[in-house]
Amino acid sequence: MPEIFASRRDLHSDIWATEVSLERGKRYLIEAASGTGKSSLCSYLYGQRGDYRGTILFDGEDVATLSADRWSTIRQRHISILFQDLRLFGELTALENVEVKNNLTHTQTTKQIVAWFEELGIGDKLHSRIDRMSYGQQQRVALIRALCQPYEFILLDEPISHLDDRNSDIMRDIILRDAATKGAAVIATSIGKHMNIDYDKHLCL
Amino acid sequence: MRLIWKLLRKHISIFELAVFFTANLIGMAVILAGVQIYSDVKPMLTGERSLIGNEYMIVTRPVERVGIGAPTFCADDIADIREQPFVVDLGLFAASQFEVDGSIMFNGRRLSTMMFFEAVPDNFIDVTSRDWRFKPGDATIPIILPRNYLNLYNFGFSQTQNLPQITEDMIKRVELGIRLSGNGRRDDYVGRVVGFSDRLNTILVPMEFMSWANGYYADADADEPTRLILEVENPGAPEVTSYLAEHGYAAEDKPSESSKALFLLKVCVAVIVGIGVIFSILSIIILTLSIYLLLQKNITKLENLVLIGYTPSRVAMPYNMMTLALNLSVLVLSIIIVAVAQSIYMGHLSDIAGFALSASPTTAIIVGVVLTAVIIVFNFSIIYRKIRDISQRR
Repeated sequence: MPEIFASRRDLHSDIWATEVSLERGKRYLIEAASGTGKSSLCSYLYGQRGDYRGTILFDGEDVATLSADRWSTIRQRHISILFQDLRLFGELTALENVEVKNNLTHTQTTKQIVAWFEELGIGDKLHSRIDRMSYGQQQRVALIRALCQPYEFILLDEPISHLDDRNSDIMRDIILRDAATKGAAVIATSIGKHMNIDYDKHLCL
Repeated sequence: MRLIWKLLRKHISIFELAVFFTANLIGMAVILAGVQIYSDVKPMLTGERSLIGNEYMIVTRPVERVGIGAPTFCADDIADIREQPFVVDLGLFAASQFEVDGSIMFNGRRLSTMMFFEAVPDNFIDVTSRDWRFKPGDATIPIILPRNYLNLYNFGFSQTQNLPQITEDMIKRVELGIRLSGNGRRDDYVGRVVGFSDRLNTILVPMEFMSWANGYYADADADEPTRLILEVENPGAPEVTSYLAEHGYAAEDKPSESSKALFLLKVCVAVIVGIGVIFSILSIIILTLSIYLLLQKNITKLENLVLIGYTPSRVAMPYNMMTLALNLSVLVLSIIIVAVAQSIYMGHLSDIAGFALSASPTTAIIVGVVLTAVIIVFNFSIIYRKIRDISQRR
């Protein structure tokens, strides 16, 4: 659990101060109210932050002991993430933002990337600068970037917060399709609005 | 790589890099010029073809009382000196033990003077001449004069006496009248100056002549010498000075000019290199701060790159390439500067030395490559550490 929660006595959570295991091939929804540590959880799982009590094991390995290079490998091959704050590069175009990742992992063809752009309704935005696009459009670019790598787990931190239902469904279909081909787990968080998926497990923070 | 560069080149300050480049170029060029000058000049002071006759020293016993009989070195003294580890070779001065009268016709006047000769073994003489030989029966005696004498005449005597200045070649063409007398004999010879010595401050004749003439005109065996000439590795070395002091010997020309010159050279080079080092250190500080500032300004992008799976070393690559390019251009430019400077000063040094000196900036290249490698490794390590810190912010 996050260190700042250490002094709290009234903690009722499916994750904090208990033992949870996330497995490949399953679909998890982590529901939470604001301020219950949803993004913190994603940061811990992704090795971005270490201000927690307890142990996170990845394939039996304590992630707190991993080197920067080992984390790079995990982020290239094993865990993909769609950040809540997207973390795109404002001065690059939409396509370039995806290429920054794909140039590193070499997993998708440009054709596949363009097809996703089309499918998500932003095919005309390929060469637009990211900082000129709406948040909802950026969210879709960030998803495409997250798919440009092999992974066993994909973390989606409020993936549809700025999408309408139609786009949300398109995104869900793409994610489920891609995760299924990889046999990967889908872990989505939500503060209310969530993708319409047949989840294996609902976890409440 | 293109995209990474596009992302990370933002905030690169051309001004800061230009300041670093200039400061490092000055520093590097000064350091390399310093070590190159040192390596070029040092052999001229210490090597085989030294500019100053530094490996030779003339040792005497100081005259302590006014009287007949100069203090001499006995056979035991000489044997002891010869055994000293710092002595490479030892030669005895042989002095003429007969009367010598020299005369010269000059401007219609006959100038005549009593004089003396000395001889030392040929290997101690810094003049080579085909005419430097004598065998009994020859009417000509080759003579070597100290160059000082000519200078004394040209710059002292001739000025005050309204006499023309003379060159070495003129003197070599002059025939000196030499009259030797003693042992009931008196003969006239022709003296001919064959060269000028910078090392030996006496009127030299060949040893063959001296041995023969001392027997012929003085009927004397070799006397105990009053002066010795030593070939030593370093006349300024402490063991040399302490040995001389212990035995009450005095060295002419001490401490040796070359030791003083070498010391001066070392001081000058130390000062030059010191200034260069300060410049270089300042420039490295500028670059370090500039890189830190750059990384700080791009920190979010760096963090995001690491978060999408880039390794710290891959993220560091563009900055490493930038510092590599900067440092290598500084190295190449400063070596070119040193090479140009060297070709200029080596011309002057060759003039002084009297023989052609080869000029190649080898020392500068070696030192430059080593220094640049150290600076590059330092830059790489601070870039890597900073990026690793960013990527491991927890």
